[in-house]
Amino acid sequence: MRLEKCWFCSSTIYPGHGIQFVRNDAKIFRFCRSKCHKNFKMKRNPRKVKWTKAYRKLNGKDMTKDATFEFERKRNRPERYDRNVAENTLKAIKKITKIRADRLSDYIENRDKTKKSKVRKEAAKELEQSIHMVRAPGAKENQGSLTLPKIKVKVSQQQTEENRAMEE
Amino acid sequence: MAAFFRSKWSTVGRSLSGSLSNISDGLLKSSNEVMQKMTSNIMLHQQQRTFIQMRTKLKCVDNSGAKKVMCIQPLKGKKGARLGDTIIASVKEAQPRGKVKKGDVVYGVVVRAAMQRGRCDGSEIKFDDNAVVLVNKQGEPIGTRVFGPVPHELRKKKHLKILTLAEHIA
Repeated sequence: MRLEKCWFCSSTIYPGHGIQFVRNDAKIFRFCRSKCHKNFKMKRNPRKVKWTKAYRKLNGKDMTKDATFEFERKRNRPERYDRNVAENTLKAIKKITKIRADRLSDYIENRDKTKKSKVRKEAAKELEQSIHMVRAPGAKENQGSLTLPKIKVKVSQQQTEENRAMEE
Repeated sequence: MAAFFRSKWSTVGRSLSGSLSNISDGLLKSSNEVMQKMTSNIMLHQQQRTFIQMRTKLKCVDNSGAKKVMCIQPLKGKKGARLGDTIIASVKEAQPRGKVKKGDVVYGVVVRAAMQRGRCDGSEIKFDDNAVVLVNKQGEPIGTRVFGPVPHELRKKKHLKILTLAEHIA
């Protein structure tokens, strides 16, 4: 019994699931479900489809290097059954999956953090470089040369009444 | 028998097409057209793969001398032969000076089928094309080589010789 990986989405294929397509050059394409098979038939590239593992790894959405991944390996030699080894393995599986999940959540948290700090740093740099292009909003009023001197004009009451009449 | 079926199908087809035309005359014309477009799109995308039945042409992937054979009788199953089944075929194209000639009636084992076939564990397998290896009546291959991948299900069908000759087993 072997757990294979889906060609399209790289998820694990458990025995009895999915479909496999054998090309004439004997390359085997395994698919976990009809969704992946259909996408393959549509000639889609898994690196360009956002929900696949290939895309997520390529674009830095998931961890690519981690010690916990190295337990999962293709072994061509069957292991001789040993009760103690089996027991320890079963214990270790739980631990490893927990460690992996923790590390993944850490990675995702830090991934967003680094992105935010990067954006902030870039904005600060731009501000520093091109501050001369913008002035503070109050700068125009303080400078006497740029504004006209204020003149007070008296407005009679009658004018306003006429205006109202016109409006009506 | 066949003629009877044909006539039955044709009548059904006529009635169906008639009803369709009636609908398309009415208000539903536009929606009907849309539906037809959609179905044609799907058809373009994926061809429906079916059984190996009478008149299916298969590639011959051994060195018996035949290139193309046409199925004239699947030996098992009502609907037709599938991966691993035996068929009777007629040689349609053959190489000169081969073991079989054009027009010969031969037995063959379907070693590759484009229609998917369930495996013993519940998953499915399918191949690129429909291919056959010619055998004699006792089930021994006529040729001495087999090209391309073959499924391991042939072991269950007692075609061990084909499996040992094969380049790849999928």
